[in-house]
Amino acid sequence: MPLGTLDRTAPPLFNQGPSALSKLVLLSAVSLFLMVADARFHIVAPLRIAIGTVLYPVQWLAMKPVQLMQHGGRYLEDLQSAQRGESDARRALALQAERAAQADTLAQENSRLRSLLELRQSTATPGRAAQVLYDAADPYTRKIVIDQGLTQGVEAGSPVIDEQGVLGQVTSVQPFTSEVTLVIDRDLSIPVQNARTGARSVAFGDATAHGGGMELRFTAANADVQEGDLLNTSGVDGVYPTGLPVAKIDRIERRADSAFARIHCVPLARVTAARYVVVLTPAGVPAIPPAIAGTVAPAKKGDKGEKLDAKATRKEGKSR
Amino acid sequence: MIMPSGQQQLLLPLNPAFMWGSLAVALLLNTIPLGRLVWMPDFLALAIVFWSVHQPARIGMGTAFAFGLLMDVQQSAMLGQHALCYTVLGFFAIMVHRRLLWYSVLSQALQLLPLFALAHAIELAIRTIGGGVFPGWGLLLAPAIEAALWPIVSGLLLAPQRRTPEPDENRPL
Repeated sequence: MPLGTLDRTAPPLFNQGPSALSKLVLLSAVSLFLMVADARFHIVAPLRIAIGTVLYPVQWLAMKPVQLMQHGGRYLEDLQSAQRGESDARRALALQAERAAQADTLAQENSRLRSLLELRQSTATPGRAAQVLYDAADPYTRKIVIDQGLTQGVEAGSPVIDEQGVLGQVTSVQPFTSEVTLVIDRDLSIPVQNARTGARSVAFGDATAHGGGMELRFTAANADVQEGDLLNTSGVDGVYPTGLPVAKIDRIERRADSAFARIHCVPLARVTAARYVVVLTPAGVPAIPPAIAGTVAPAKKGDKGEKLDAKATRKEGKSR
Repeated sequence: MIMPSGQQQLLLPLNPAFMWGSLAVALLLNTIPLGRLVWMPDFLALAIVFWSVHQPARIGMGTAFAFGLLMDVQQSAMLGQHALCYTVLGFFAIMVHRRLLWYSVLSQALQLLPLFALAHAIELAIRTIGGGVFPGWGLLLAPAIEAALWPIVSGLLLAPQRRTPEPDENRPL
């Protein structure tokens, strides 16, 4: 009798598929692979987008009761607090009015001076308004989720600001939502410039658990920094537009055992309470040192005025 | 038939739609955006352990893994972090499921406490290695709350199977 005629497999009653341990090993290996792929190689973004799309109806449904409570609470806010809010807004507007009146004149003057000095024109960055949906539930990072995504044209890497200053950066884009990593996250760094001294450095999120602040690392202990100094974006990264307020220096610890000072900063943006934000398009042009720019654009002849104009237009074209 | 002491009554067969519905509700509960609460219990983990203990033939580690991926994207955590935790939870739930049901419900909760603690410890270890910040001691509360919720969850999710097969006016349910 040939061997193939006998059924040698176990009857299906006791057949439970692969053992639990082998399943555990396989699935753990897959999840470890996914984690490494996500953290180190950033190759699982399409998978994330696909899962996000499947999950969006659930998220939408789960958001409803929370939104209902928020809207209900806001609806029941009394008249007095509304009036107080309005008077606050008017006061802020009055404070800004003088600056706004000067802004046009200053912008004109600035562009004339810049063309005179053969500097690149600083262009206004287009932005789109977005609403903060919720704080991301992951307790190990500091992120928020906003209601603009791929379908609205948000791209990863865009800076996000609120009315006070830089809030963070879009780090992951889903079809209908985006995740914004806040400036107080440990892994986010922003190139800043001290508004008083003009010294450039990089601000990082605070690494301690309940930090909620930022720090200026690698600043020499004898550097010229004072408490209360304002830090603006320096724009050398080509992502953040120049001159947006980021943080204010809060506390400086100079220690004898270290060559560097510990500088704690407080972010100016309302990182935990922002409701409406603006997503800017990344500037996208790394600043070219003036020396290189000068060698790239040698001018042979023609009179001075023509040369200046030509250079200005060419640089504008490049920056777009 | 030998009955486990915790269970006084022979249960009706499970309606699979109820099981999947309860898992979906647990996912929904986890998705509610309440912000960054460290001590928040993981309802989905609870539901997965419950069904792995009570219905090991219907739900396995593959399902747990898939739900874990959903949670990773929802929480914008590292992809695979919850998947690994839920897989480990599913494995240990299947390991203990024959023994666990012989105990009373409170004793079951006590025995599951280390299991939930292990899941959170795995998550913490992964994220600390991956460069996250320590979220605070509130994290210790999460497994305790999950274990405390076990009797409630047991009562709720077994309720449809506890009905009598022939209802009359004395026993309407």
